[in-house]
Amino acid sequence: MPSFHPGKTFMMDSSVPLTSPSRRAGALSELRQRVTGRWLFALLLVLGCAVLSLLVLAPLYTLLSKSVENKAGDFVGLDNFAHYLSSGGIESAFFNSLWVAGLSTLVVVGLAFMAAWALTRTRLPMTGWIRGVLVLPILAPSLLPAISLVYLFGNQGVLKSWLFGAEIYGPIGIIMGSCFWTFPHALMILLTAMDNADGRHYEAATALKASPWRTFWTVTVPGARYGLVSAAFVVFTLVITDFGVPKVIGGQFDVLATDIYKQVIGQQKFEMGAVVSVLLLLPAMLAFLADRYVQRKQSASFTARSVPYRPRRDHRRDVIGAVMLAPTILFILAIIGMAVYASFVTFWPYNLELSLNNYQFGRMDGGGWGAYTNSLQMALGTMVIGTLLVFFNAWLMERTPQPRLLTGVFQFLSLLPLAVPGLVLGLSYIFFFNHPDNPINGIYGTLFILILCTVSHFYAVSHLTAVTALKQLDQEFEAVGESLKASRWRVLFTVTLPLCLPAILDVALYLFVNAMTTVSAVVFLYGHDSQLASVAVLNMDEAGDIAPAAAMAILITTTCAAAKLIQGGLRFWVDRSTRAWRQGTE
Amino acid sequence: MIQHTQGSRLEVRGVNKFFGEFCALKDINLTIEPGELVCFLGPSGCGKTTLLRIIAGLEQQSCGTLRQGDVDISQKPPRDRDFGIVFQSYALFPNMTVIDNVAYGLRSIGMPKARVRDRVDELLAVVGLEDHARKYPAQLSGGQQQRVALARALAPSPGLLLLDEPLSALDAKVRHHLRSEIRSLQKQLGVTTIMVTHDQEEALAMADRVVVMNNGVIEQVGTPLDIYQQPASAFVASFIGAMNFFDSAPVNGQRVRLGNRELDLVRPLPATPDGIRLAIRPEDVHLLPQGDGEWEGQVQAMDYLGAFIRTHVRLHGVELDLVVDVDPRSARQLELRVGGAVCLNLPSDALHCFAA
Repeated sequence: MPSFHPGKTFMMDSSVPLTSPSRRAGALSELRQRVTGRWLFALLLVLGCAVLSLLVLAPLYTLLSKSVENKAGDFVGLDNFAHYLSSGGIESAFFNSLWVAGLSTLVVVGLAFMAAWALTRTRLPMTGWIRGVLVLPILAPSLLPAISLVYLFGNQGVLKSWLFGAEIYGPIGIIMGSCFWTFPHALMILLTAMDNADGRHYEAATALKASPWRTFWTVTVPGARYGLVSAAFVVFTLVITDFGVPKVIGGQFDVLATDIYKQVIGQQKFEMGAVVSVLLLLPAMLAFLADRYVQRKQSASFTARSVPYRPRRDHRRDVIGAVMLAPTILFILAIIGMAVYASFVTFWPYNLELSLNNYQFGRMDGGGWGAYTNSLQMALGTMVIGTLLVFFNAWLMERTPQPRLLTGVFQFLSLLPLAVPGLVLGLSYIFFFNHPDNPINGIYGTLFILILCTVSHFYAVSHLTAVTALKQLDQEFEAVGESLKASRWRVLFTVTLPLCLPAILDVALYLFVNAMTTVSAVVFLYGHDSQLASVAVLNMDEAGDIAPAAAMAILITTTCAAAKLIQGGLRFWVDRSTRAWRQGTE
Repeated sequence: MIQHTQGSRLEVRGVNKFFGEFCALKDINLTIEPGELVCFLGPSGCGKTTLLRIIAGLEQQSCGTLRQGDVDISQKPPRDRDFGIVFQSYALFPNMTVIDNVAYGLRSIGMPKARVRDRVDELLAVVGLEDHARKYPAQLSGGQQQRVALARALAPSPGLLLLDEPLSALDAKVRHHLRSEIRSLQKQLGVTTIMVTHDQEEALAMADRVVVMNNGVIEQVGTPLDIYQQPASAFVASFIGAMNFFDSAPVNGQRVRLGNRELDLVRPLPATPDGIRLAIRPEDVHLLPQGDGEWEGQVQAMDYLGAFIRTHVRLHGVELDLVVDVDPRSARQLELRVGGAVCLNLPSDALHCFAA
């Protein structure tokens, strides 16, 4: 807001006549107009903050307060934590979670770095297809690799002997399964970091007579270091908060995520579930904060003057790249192939004849085809509501005048879901929305609360995508619009939205796929009429119907793949119809 | 023929701008006459762009008033002001053709379709882009994009045209060409124009008046000739063109001491308790054959810069280094060479004097 120093202006030029009353009234109405124009946007963003507070902050607060109350709701301080500690939960679940997540992180980041190197620093053929295979796991629910591993290495597994007598049910299974589904996340971060290499740095290294090995350690690795750190934090958080893999293949091996489930679903000890949630929230929050800290230090090393790196033809290097990629590709294809095969086998391992028996979900518990259509509705709802909400809020934050404090608060609220494990979010939704005093507790047990929960769960990444796209637009578009008497809304619809269409499609697909595959947040929230496909996989597996579980997991994966194809087609269409004006800009 | 716009008069009174503790603009007073082209010139961070954005209403001044014509626009949002603007990045809408970009502002004010088409045709003819009307910005060269931005800004016939470093993204040749083109277009339309630039050559070549700014204050306002020949401060003198500076001491009246000599000045001395600084432009120093001049020196280095030779001379007795620009023919006549002796005069009417 402007600050006035009337005395000062008056002294500076005494010839300016004093404002007449009528003119002053005019100025006042102008001021009001200006203020309402600005306030409208600020008010809308305040509303955005309120929505996010309601969807994330308030439930989390209820969860935290629940962890220091007893069953009757009286404040008991840290008694619950002491109780959990004395029951030995810390030693088993907490440390188990830490080392399993740590080891998985090492393996995944190592493999992903090798793959990213092979894809960006060699000239292997068919890299498009290779990339496609490597990110396939992202379309599958995290339960799928676990089920597949049971078929491969379980008691009746085809490759059981490969483990030399070790059990797949336990840490080995959890780590292998986690590696499968977190790999694409790490790969995409590293590809982004390594795709934008500055060719000049490599030329300088060559000119200074550095060996390929030295170039690798002095140019390639430093260039990717922020990507490596970020990938490590992301994978660690994903593994430690994941519930699907350890639930299916963890056996007697306790981790925090399964512990929450057991406390809440098995023993109905909600306050103990809250305690374990807080313990799970801690490492996730720490990883989140550390990642934000590292990201802040990162400055763009790829400037407008950089020259994109093009790897030279070098057959030896191509062979090394292929060797690095092969195990990962084989592992991914084996896991998916096994699940597909198992879903068609009539009765493992006694009747290997192929049939569609396992796809007749109506015959099993778990919700049947109804669960699948529920999932579709939920995913579409999440996609539509989420994309609209995310983009509108990101636009308010990036492209309208906002008080700095407000954008800071909003940014915090938008990124917060990144630090909140799905299980924790789901449990806090129980506490918050199922509370008898909550005026909107009617949505509890409906598809709508599942949509709200999923939108919040995956808000942060969508928000970051939207903000990145909006930031890339010329900062002066709105200023030009103002000078041409166009409102911000008109600039939004005629310029900003058309330019952001690719990013909007990306966000929509991201929300759809995650809504189809997620288990962790929704496992506490589905009701009798709102069973979901991903939860059905879990329940059928628990009931021993492992082949139908595999079939449902494959169905989910196929649906996501179809969504990806549709989205790819749309993007192709958008790219083609906008090729004329993108020409030369990319 | 394109319709003439009535350029508006702009008055800036006592404008200050603070960013937190930092004072970006300090007590700016300025009047711009209708139809004038005024350049805001200064080093980066001097506040010139901030002042332009305040005039546009894109920034809010901390205090002070702005009047455009008879209207107080101090508190008006940009949409209610009357200006067109061209940014350094042009900010053309990439998803629209040249026509749609230029028509954007006309459609905002609800101009009938037929008139929009006529007006766009008219403007594209003026900037010479009739043949590119259906292209997208990415299909145009930098210079062509610049013209589209200009046509878009001018389409609604604003009383005030604001140009924020409009030429700095272009290469030298296009820049020179567009410079004269913008200038003649501006004269033809009579639109009051403010251009921000850090390129002194651009400012001197295009402006009716130049506003030289430094550290958030206006150092001098004047015609290009004034600014070059009568710099009001040592900053202006050094920022515009090249200038030799020497520390000196006043003797009395209009006499100053330089080394062991006293010089008479044409202009009165600035009133200052401290020492003063004498200044002279490299082209104002007279080089003379040996034995003819008041000062003797030795040539230290010669840089051939095409049309002239920048000669570095060390003066005997005062141990001062002086830069002298001399044309190649005179240099041959004087038999200038590195290490050779040379005589020179410092004409008193070319000597400037500033407070130290």
